[in-house]
Amino acid sequence: MGVKKTDIVLLDENGIRCDGRKINEPRRIMIKAGVLKNANGSAYIEFGENKILAGVFGPRDVHPKHLANTDRGILRCRYHMQPFSVGERKNPAPSRREIEISKVIKEALEPALMLENFPRTVVDVFIEILQADGGSRCAALDAAAVALADAGIPMRDMVSACAAGKVADTIVLDINNEEDQEGQADMPVAYMPNLGKVTLIQLDGVLTPQEYEKCVNTALEGCKLVYEVQKKALQEKFFGDDAK
Amino acid sequence: MDDVKRKYVIPGDVITTGPYRAEENVHLHGDKIIATTVGISEIYDSGVRVIPLTGMYIPRIDDFIIGIVKSHTSLSWELNINSCYAGILPAQDVFGRDFNPKVDDLTSRLKTGDLIAARVANSDRSRDPLITIADRDLGKIEDGELLKISPSKVPRLIGKRGSMIQTIESATKAIITIGQNGYVVVSGEEPEGLLKAIEAIKTVEEQAHVPNLTERIQQMLGSNSE
Amino acid sequence: MTSSTIIDDLKKKKILALLKEGQRIDGRALDEPRQLTIDTGVIPKAEGSARVRLGDTEVVCGVKVQPDKPFPDLGDRGIFICTAEILPLADPSAEPGPPGEEVIELARVVDRGIRESGMVDLKQLVLEKDKSVVGIFIDNSVTDYDGNLFDACSYASVASVLSCKLPKFKYDSSNGSVSKVEGEFSAPPITTIPVSVTMGKIGDTIIVDPNADEWSCMDGRITITTNAAGNICAVQKGGHDGFTPEQLVQCSKISIATGAKIRDILKQAGGS
Repeated sequence: MGVKKTDIVLLDENGIRCDGRKINEPRRIMIKAGVLKNANGSAYIEFGENKILAGVFGPRDVHPKHLANTDRGILRCRYHMQPFSVGERKNPAPSRREIEISKVIKEALEPALMLENFPRTVVDVFIEILQADGGSRCAALDAAAVALADAGIPMRDMVSACAAGKVADTIVLDINNEEDQEGQADMPVAYMPNLGKVTLIQLDGVLTPQEYEKCVNTALEGCKLVYEVQKKALQEKFFGDDAK
Repeated sequence: MDDVKRKYVIPGDVITTGPYRAEENVHLHGDKIIATTVGISEIYDSGVRVIPLTGMYIPRIDDFIIGIVKSHTSLSWELNINSCYAGILPAQDVFGRDFNPKVDDLTSRLKTGDLIAARVANSDRSRDPLITIADRDLGKIEDGELLKISPSKVPRLIGKRGSMIQTIESATKAIITIGQNGYVVVSGEEPEGLLKAIEAIKTVEEQAHVPNLTERIQQMLGSNSE
Repeated sequence: MTSSTIIDDLKKKKILALLKEGQRIDGRALDEPRQLTIDTGVIPKAEGSARVRLGDTEVVCGVKVQPDKPFPDLGDRGIFICTAEILPLADPSAEPGPPGEEVIELARVVDRGIRESGMVDLKQLVLEKDKSVVGIFIDNSVTDYDGNLFDACSYASVASVLSCKLPKFKYDSSNGSVSKVEGEFSAPPITTIPVSVTMGKIGDTIIVDPNADEWSCMDGRITITTNAAGNICAVQKGGHDGFTPEQLVQCSKISIATGAKIRDILKQAGGS
């Protein structure tokens, strides 16, 4: 945000973006599974400048008790930004934005989890944004899904998330912070790659119907790339060198 | 065993398609059979299952488990059995039929923090699992050291027909009690053997997916052959 | 609160059985919204206001217009804030107190749809760059609940803004004070009319504008806001099930078609 708006060229004549990427190129993604000792499952992700830690507890007893469901387990998610994760110190109390993001992340993970096997319990997902960049909710989701698999919560499929958007009248993959601030549209998408279902989609910004379709498909391509990184993270933790 | 096809899988991986029976830790989507947990998939005869490498302990009737007393009411103890549910040990199970909550003090037999060897007497979706210690070899564990391993690694620690556990016990002179719930108690006279046994158990947990693990542990403990 | 309302199983079975036949419990077509009634100017003390009934869901909305300091990094545009609240009298499960995640999502989705469409040209609401701007504050209060608060609040907000009379303000650069010019009003700088269309997914059937009963058996939902040019300005998916990419495209088409019809009703109500 320190850079003046007019200084940024979001897309140059060679189709190169402000951080040097091509139109369909995601930022660097690194995921490590099983990074915490106490959590039942955990993961750490670096997605561009995002640095995010996710920890999973449960299934376990629900407190307060009246929240428990006798038919199925419940899922709770907390997306939380550290005060030092952004340029200007963020008040550590959960903001309305964080509460909304927590909710959409929960609803993006829920379709994948087989919580019907665990009545009267809760699965808690804690997501801590250590450093924030554009697309933090997608990166948070990617880490949370790996942490859930690490915890051994039965899952119908992985959940992989990536955003696409519109920058300088062009649909591009994986919006970074500058593009989010100055671009024309941002569309985070989460996808279950083997079941073919979109479990999160949001959009800020104006798209024609054609651009909308292209944007969805671009984001889905990104999700598939993320899926490979998630797989690798779990394989590395559980199968080590034996994974081919 | 040679016609069993094994593969490392993570949730969402399509193990196979076609007319197979979907067994543990898989789900059927159309004609795809999809893994629901990280583990090793097996296709055998007409069934497909995944042997998990992570996850909570799910109580099954008759399982031998180790529990930690966490609290009690006037009628029962509540046990931590490393599961998503607390185990319930009714007072009658310990005091007998003529248990009288007005007279008998539960803490006189078991108190918070005690370890017990027990079995799962009953377990279904609607209630917390019922635990019993009314059998020989069950009851309060008086000495030893508690280790916690992932319940999914318990079969590996026991080994084929007990081969792994026998290997460790005979090489270290330690006595190892393994609960299906991943709680393991190690005891022994020789402190050095105890340490070696604990180290061996930790190695088994870390390398549960590695083939020929029993031989590796044998080498590690220096018991050339047994 | 709104999604946790428990519906009796017989009604749920009936809803599901009817949907298999392509029918709905209240006789509507799958892509047919409920009757929308809009009365504007219901709160004369507010600069703009509307009472909206969407089926039996009812929302009262008021717009207050007052001078304010601009946001630090947005000194060249006016302020636009849209909120929503479910009043305790609207539903037996609604309780007074700080808003829960459902209400926060509701308010943010309604705000985002209108904001992202650029309905009000905020650059025309500047009194003195970086110093003083006009703020448009839109507050929605749900007074009766029968499902789909997203659309009801969005229509109420849009109708209130359309019917809004902007007072004239004067900025005095000598002392930085702002005064109201009595008796002088203008229409707000409207660029487009955004329309939010919320669809529910039950099984694999998509229905427009679910009522409370349908809302409580929904597997997933999606709200898509479109502008007058037929472009898409905001999307929000919710609920515990996903959508296939094909369904997402289907929903976008429904939202454009249904949105066009509702836009006509909003235009009429707003008197433009």
